[in-house]
Amino acid sequence: MDSIKLERRILSRNDVLAGDLRDRFRARGVAVLNMVSSPGSGKTSLLERTLGGLSEEMRIGVIEGDIQTENDARRIARTGVPVRQIQTGGACHLEAAMIAEALKSLQWEDLDLLVIENVGNLVCPSAFDLGEGARVVLISTTEGDDKPLKYPAMFHSAHLMVVNKIDLLPYTDFSVDTAVENARSLNPDVKVLRTSCRTGEGLEVWNDWVRSFVKSRD
Amino acid sequence: MHELSIAMEILEIVEREARNHGAGGVRSILLKVGDLSGVEISSLTYCFEAIRGEKEVTRDADLIVDRVAVRVRCRPCGESFPGHGPLVRCPACGGLDTELLEGDELNVVEIEVE
Repeated sequence: MDSIKLERRILSRNDVLAGDLRDRFRARGVAVLNMVSSPGSGKTSLLERTLGGLSEEMRIGVIEGDIQTENDARRIARTGVPVRQIQTGGACHLEAAMIAEALKSLQWEDLDLLVIENVGNLVCPSAFDLGEGARVVLISTTEGDDKPLKYPAMFHSAHLMVVNKIDLLPYTDFSVDTAVENARSLNPDVKVLRTSCRTGEGLEVWNDWVRSFVKSRD
Repeated sequence: MHELSIAMEILEIVEREARNHGAGGVRSILLKVGDLSGVEISSLTYCFEAIRGEKEVTRDADLIVDRVAVRVRCRPCGESFPGHGPLVRCPACGGLDTELLEGDELNVVEIEVE
């Protein structure tokens, strides 16, 4: 019997594809966001509320990932931004190969910003690089403020944490400070924004963050 | 649920390597799985056992998982220490400015073939 040393990353095929996507995005100056959260934290609402305005200043495209339905793509399409829906048909995350496939039917080369809305899931998407420039994790105030500790891989890998539904803070036991402290214990450099898609609070700060992210990719 | 995708990748990698080495069958596959990798080990083992029969070379292969705990280093004071659960506050200086040393691995380390 022989031993063969491999020391190979299991997801190296996805990593290679994601690296290839990242090179293509960089070559065309496209800034790419990967939005992740639990189901129902408000990813689609945040995009719905802000893409219409932002698209007057920059060219934006969206890839929507869901297990089933085209509901989210329809919501995004109403903002006037081009959108492609990926139905994973049961898979709990997007993979780089799915993004490469979706790009074939999206005029992505001329975009300033491509937003990928991942499947609502705080576990599996963390392991799959999609070639994004930044990963944005949403957490809403109707969830537990210990979510970062329960899903460390996701919060560890995020560049920005958006605390959404802050209009509901008076009605929940969620502490923004605790959530931020928990996230920073895993990821000291993570930036934090607070938003409410219902009242509009914080949305201009989110827009500014998106603008500076896109500018940093120029 | 992404453990199934990972189990499928493992089979692909192992089949390719076994073929490159002219091996007849794979007896065991050693993995390193970090606590921060987002992988549920029991679920991965279950998925692997469900699909290992799909490839001739992995039909009798056992999966051996070496779990890697999180270990971090404090950037300002240089102390390295285990991440207690997910919390990574430095026990020496109390700082939170830390970098990950190990714990996010998801690797095939080696295979035993015959």
